[in-house]
Amino acid sequence: MPWTPLPRPLSEATVALVSTAGLSMLADPPFDAEGERQNPWWGDPSYRVIPRSATAADIVALHLHIETAYLQQDLDVALPLRRLAEAEAEGRIGRVAPSHYSFMGYLLDPAEFLDRSVPAMIERMRAESVDAAVFVPV
Amino acid sequence: MEAAGIATIALSMIPDLTVAAGAPRVAAIEFPFGRPFGQPNDAATQRAVLQGTLDALRDASRAGTVVHLPFEWPESPEQVHWHPKEPSPILQLLAGNPALFQRLAAGDIPPEASRRS
Repeated sequence: MPWTPLPRPLSEATVALVSTAGLSMLADPPFDAEGERQNPWWGDPSYRVIPRSATAADIVALHLHIETAYLQQDLDVALPLRRLAEAEAEGRIGRVAPSHYSFMGYLLDPAEFLDRSVPAMIERMRAESVDAAVFVPV
Repeated sequence: MEAAGIATIALSMIPDLTVAAGAPRVAAIEFPFGRPFGQPNDAATQRAVLQGTLDALRDASRAGTVVHLPFEWPESPEQVHWHPKEPSPILQLLAGNPALFQRLAAGDIPPEASRRS
């Protein structure tokens, strides 16, 4: 099992969130639910970037395996960007990363996700000096 | 991500599966699918769950750490609505095909899973 200690105290650390809820910004292409309807074995293996300022009004959730109505009302139930901003303002974390991430968690074969999406997310996290990621399956 | 020098924690309603998937730190919570941090507009619970998760990230000292967060969902299991209104495509497919279901349960993933169509 991989292990990296937190590189600096939490109160100095840059934190990013990663959600499996299939979230995309309105300006970006949504997750490919139609492809999954045509081939139920397949799930969209791509990922999207969600900026720290995003709210429920800015996003679309396409995940055919969960009720997404709640997070469409209040994004913080699954991607707590406002709660994380409060932690930053109160000094409980160092900094909210500029970018956060979402993918769609129904992936029976995760090979393409692991080969393409994960390295791209890691590269962006490193470019933004992210110390810790909070992974949130839904 | 750990291998890239980024420390991770997962907030999970299915901690056994999350550990089995290789997550080195897990904060476990008994909340419904779709709402891991609490109800819409319940900022106090969302804040407490996030802080519990961050505390577990800070305090974990070895791979395989699972911390059970002490939150109780305000509805009984019978009251919780978490299924989508329309069953997922794979559930619709499996509903009429027990043999396919057994194949999937045995971990036999067909090649169709690897390409869109």
